[in-house]
Amino acid sequence: MSEPLNPFASKPSRSRAFEKVILGLFRVATYFVLLCGVIVFADIVFKGAPTVARAFKTTSTFPYVTNTFLFTAPESLYVFEHDGEKKEMGDKEYRAFREAEEAKALAAGQPAPKFKAESYVYSAGGIWPAIVGTVLLVVGSMTIALFLGVCSAIFLNEYAKDGPVVRFIRLAILNLAGVPSIVFGLFGFGMFVIFFGWNVSLMAGWFTLAFMVLPVVITASEESLKAVPKGFREGSLALGATKWQTIRKNVLPYALPGILTSSILGIARVAGETAPIMFTAAYVVRDKLPWEIEKASDFFFQGVMALPYHIYVVSSKIPQNEYTARVQYGTAFVFLGIVALIAAASIILRNKLRSRYQW
Amino acid sequence: MSSASITPPPPKPPVQPKPFVIHKERTRFFGLTLDETIRAFFGGNAFMAVVVLALITIFLFREGSAFFGQNRASITLYRTAGLEYVDYMRAQQEGHTALTRYLFDIRLRAVRHLTENEALSVAEANAKLAAFDEFAGRYSDTIEPVRGFVSDLTDVAVAIKEKYTINEDAKTERAQFLATGMTAEADAVKIAEIDFKAELAPLVGVTPMYVEAANGVATAINDVLATAPALPVPSLESRMTRFKELNREYLATFPETQRKLETWDYLKPVPALDTVTGFLFGKQWLTASFWQDWYGLVPLFVGSLMVSIIALFLAVPLGVGAAIYINQFAGLREQRIIKPAIEFISAIPSVVLGFFGIAVLGQALRALSQWEALSWVPGFPFSERLNALTAGCLLALIAVPTIFTLAEDALNNVPRSFKEASFALGASRMQTILRIIVPASLSGIVSAVLLGLGRVIGETMVVLLCAGNRIAIPDFTQGFTAFVQPVHTMTGIIAQEMGEVVRGEIHYRALFMVGLVLFFIALLINFLAQKIVRKYRISIG
Repeated sequence: MSEPLNPFASKPSRSRAFEKVILGLFRVATYFVLLCGVIVFADIVFKGAPTVARAFKTTSTFPYVTNTFLFTAPESLYVFEHDGEKKEMGDKEYRAFREAEEAKALAAGQPAPKFKAESYVYSAGGIWPAIVGTVLLVVGSMTIALFLGVCSAIFLNEYAKDGPVVRFIRLAILNLAGVPSIVFGLFGFGMFVIFFGWNVSLMAGWFTLAFMVLPVVITASEESLKAVPKGFREGSLALGATKWQTIRKNVLPYALPGILTSSILGIARVAGETAPIMFTAAYVVRDKLPWEIEKASDFFFQGVMALPYHIYVVSSKIPQNEYTARVQYGTAFVFLGIVALIAAASIILRNKLRSRYQW
Repeated sequence: MSSASITPPPPKPPVQPKPFVIHKERTRFFGLTLDETIRAFFGGNAFMAVVVLALITIFLFREGSAFFGQNRASITLYRTAGLEYVDYMRAQQEGHTALTRYLFDIRLRAVRHLTENEALSVAEANAKLAAFDEFAGRYSDTIEPVRGFVSDLTDVAVAIKEKYTINEDAKTERAQFLATGMTAEADAVKIAEIDFKAELAPLVGVTPMYVEAANGVATAINDVLATAPALPVPSLESRMTRFKELNREYLATFPETQRKLETWDYLKPVPALDTVTGFLFGKQWLTASFWQDWYGLVPLFVGSLMVSIIALFLAVPLGVGAAIYINQFAGLREQRIIKPAIEFISAIPSVVLGFFGIAVLGQALRALSQWEALSWVPGFPFSERLNALTAGCLLALIAVPTIFTLAEDALNNVPRSFKEASFALGASRMQTILRIIVPASLSGIVSAVLLGLGRVIGETMVVLLCAGNRIAIPDFTQGFTAFVQPVHTMTGIIAQEMGEVVRGEIHYRALFMVGLVLFFIALLINFLAQKIVRKYRISIG
């Protein structure tokens, strides 16, 4: 005995099948995009993580452990055969080893051993100066961008009344958001590097990046300011506070967490961009760390290494082989890790914040 | 009661207004109260966005605008030093070279046909083609007289140009000496004024001889063609006919070249407009050449456009499809995972994607294209690892989050009542979505696509690393294979060459002009996106 047929059940028809196919296509599109992202991510993590993991070394001083990939400067890699053994050494280590071997041979009265080493530029050592440079660039440019952006947002949201001027400003912000990053790079080069004579320097990079990220910060800040209920302002004004007192005491404190968290996405953008710093702030290689300077003002006018530019250099300016691939993947892994952490933090914090403030 | 009896009260002495007790003296800056000053300060900051846009325009112009003057000088020199004259002859030579190449192509096909279809050994095939080879050899020799002229005159023209450049350098040196007051040194700098007419005499003098030689070439070609042997492969006869036809066309250009050579005047001025059109519509971007540098935007623009087309072709269905799925079908939990995940993809730095393209995707795509089962795909198989397709695929991944987010917003803004009304009329879910919701939000979706295009066309690192960086207009005659050829882009060329050029030189200025064009393209795209949203928004009433 079969189940009694449901007279209202939908009958299979061609159009219904067609609809199912379309739905399937939409679903496939969604998950295909995610899959692509995951593939990129996984490839870099799986090939890059070993470079970092292998570089952990114990030391004799506190904190007894260090990572030669993360915390040393890049060097050339030397690959050579010695006593029938294949050895890979960084520049400093190789020189020390050579001298020691030569001294040993001299002491034993033998002719100095010959070394036939192949060298691979930037393939040994680490990326410490690049990490430091990226952090400095991000901190400086975000400080500038946050200051300008929050002030603009306060004006647009609190003071300005809708009119041609405000509409013009909003239009400018919208357009600024669409300007390609390489154009910002050219602009920074023309204005800061040449016209102001700052040369390739942190300052030039800071301002270039700050202007680039300004629209993001303004939009984020305005959204947070809008989220503060009107009653807060009206109550304060009714008690006789001035406009500025109202904003300072009754609006900004509630908007600030939102502003900061939404601006983290701007940080990801600043940290990830290569084109604007190519001609304004980034050096291919620099031996000194940013704080090894003679006088304090030099700090602002020095070029730095930066992670994205370093990736560009190691992946396109030097020949590809197994030795260089290690440092390429390692750098990409560290960089992607940093940016992903920032982005994830921004997204999670924002979602938390949305549920925290309920007015 | 008479009014006279009432006397008006005596006027009171005017009361002095009492000082307002709680009035406070306000601090004023430049005549503004504190609150107004604060307002002005914030307003000034808000104006920063406008200022930055203006500064970008100003500084790109400041560095780039001298390009046109310098380019005009360069083209003028190209003419006065006789390079243009030699190039007329060279064009003739190159036309012949192209035809010779066509002949070799026929031979290649013949060999392939003989060895594959008739199963002959290579030696046998070569033996069969001996008559054809002899013909091809005679054909390629016909141009020799012209080639001799070109190579001789090239040296002459380059010598004149070099002399001029040395002279110019001497002039600047002298000006510098004079500027610093060192007259004695300034006088010591030798400047030999160039008499272009005299210098060009050997060039222009050969015109009659050259014309005679060219005519000789024409008859020689005709003679050789008349004795063309029959091909051992009948299926290629049509190509041989085509070859003869091409030759006729080629020979028909001879009188025109002759006219150009005879009427050529080294003093003819270069119109100022030519430098602008030459930049915008020039088909060559050729730098650091010993002969003449050309700064034409077209190859770069075409490259940028092709890469963007590929990217949008992939990203629009994916982005819009995902937006529809997430907005209309996905459950709350699915939404909560996928939306941040796609946002997360947009945070992947472009240089990392570019590196991924070099390290993985390039090889993977090439391997895929050489797969037998996919040989029906147009353009497959290809041999270049880094090409427009590789860059386009990665750019699609960059464009998808932008398109997805904005399209999802647009879908979200469609009023509920639209949907409800559609359901009430008995439409199915898919009908409602495809016929009601998507059309209602179409303006938003189109502007999302446009903003995605803006993102893609301005992207630098991916195209710099993955597009192959060959500055040439792809060969569109072969159909879709153009999309798997290496290209160069506007953003890529700036990033690549900016570090190597001399400040203030014409090449440096040209790069700034490219930047300016890019800037205006970005503004235009933005403008269109906003306009579409505003104009075609369905009123929600």
